[in-house]
Amino acid sequence: MKHFTEEELIAYQLHDSSDEAAIRLHLEGCTECADLTESIAETLRVFSAEPVPLPDLDRNWQRLRGNLSVLTPEPRRFGFFKWSWAWPAMGVATAALVLLAVFGLHVHRTVDRRTNFAINGHGPLTTQPTDPEIANHLDSAERLLTEVNNTSGSLDDVTRDQAHKLLLKNAVYVRTAHNNGDLAEAAVLENLGRVLTTLDNEPPTSQSTWRIRVEMNTNGLLLDIRILRQNDDRTQGPKQ
Amino acid sequence: MDKAETEAIREVLAGHRDAYRVLMDRHFYSVSRVTFRITGNEEDAEEAAQEAFLRAYNKLPSFRQDSAFSTWIMRIAMNTAINLVERRNRDLSYHAPRIADEPSAADGTVRVADGKAGPEAALLDHEATSLRHAAMASLTPMERTAFTLRHMEDLPIAEIAAALNVPANSAKQAVFRAVAKLRRSLAPLAGGLQ
Repeated sequence: MKHFTEEELIAYQLHDSSDEAAIRLHLEGCTECADLTESIAETLRVFSAEPVPLPDLDRNWQRLRGNLSVLTPEPRRFGFFKWSWAWPAMGVATAALVLLAVFGLHVHRTVDRRTNFAINGHGPLTTQPTDPEIANHLDSAERLLTEVNNTSGSLDDVTRDQAHKLLLKNAVYVRTAHNNGDLAEAAVLENLGRVLTTLDNEPPTSQSTWRIRVEMNTNGLLLDIRILRQNDDRTQGPKQ
Repeated sequence: MDKAETEAIREVLAGHRDAYRVLMDRHFYSVSRVTFRITGNEEDAEEAAQEAFLRAYNKLPSFRQDSAFSTWIMRIAMNTAINLVERRNRDLSYHAPRIADEPSAADGTVRVADGKAGPEAALLDHEATSLRHAAMASLTPMERTAFTLRHMEDLPIAEIAAALNVPANSAKQAVFRAVAKLRRSLAPLAGGLQ
């Protein structure tokens, strides 16, 4: 008899399963899966929603009001189209960008053909118990990189500050991975370190962010991190 | 986007700070509800909600009104709350239980047993509460956020993923990891989970 995985049963309990009828039918005849399902249901009951306190809106508004500066709208992005001198400058800038994109991507593809250990690899990246802090670190890195990947302009100060903090922590995890002989994890973290260093040091222009996004997409860094994250999760121990 | 909200944003950008109150009236409760789920206590929830509204205000000149303000502020709020949880995690002393007359799970406070209230029952209750808190604390901020919003707030995965700015599958996996971790953490409870 083919049993359902814990993930599938969690999805069933949360009503996120696409196979709900089949699971229900299976549970009627399988004690093992039924016990696991009941255990998941009990966990969800224990962590059911506590009531949420209602904040004082007036007090919060008064506190916020004192910190609000007077705003002005951003200048219209294409306002300078009216100026006659802008057209030749736009032409030169566009040509430079096209050259940069063509040659930049070409050079990157031909030079940077490093083996992607996390993807082309060798099953789970590690069989060692993992430091729970690394899970936090990878979560934060994934969120930051996704943010960078989806940002259309330059990065704000908060994001750059997060990159700086992650960079400091990343160095420790790289060393730990090396010390543990986990070269695949170290390779992904080193790659992450390079992107974080660029984020931390480059001037905040939209062009530099664009370059980082290209670099991340090319290297599949985000994918590497997600795979690393899932592999770490598989080594958390057997199901109970 | 709602006409009243568009008008409020236009007024704020024209220099009228008080017009921001319209947006706050409409969204502060839902935002603080979500920040409460993520941070787990009232004080931090209000701080995160305040900070989210301040960040949104300062970013308002660059807000492209092709998406709803509610979606945008919720995304900022979640990230602000997650960052606050990460900051708290770094400050170890913050996790020390504080003594209060009325213990509150949300505030992480405990009452010193006085013997009259049935010490055995109080001990068991305290043990279960501690275990629940420890279990939630073992989740990463993203797992906690995805889990609480899916299970407690009943938000669809797609909405959680959009707000967290991660692919839907990442959000779903975060929920699964959270439930699996919580289930294992509860195993020592009396009569334990299988």
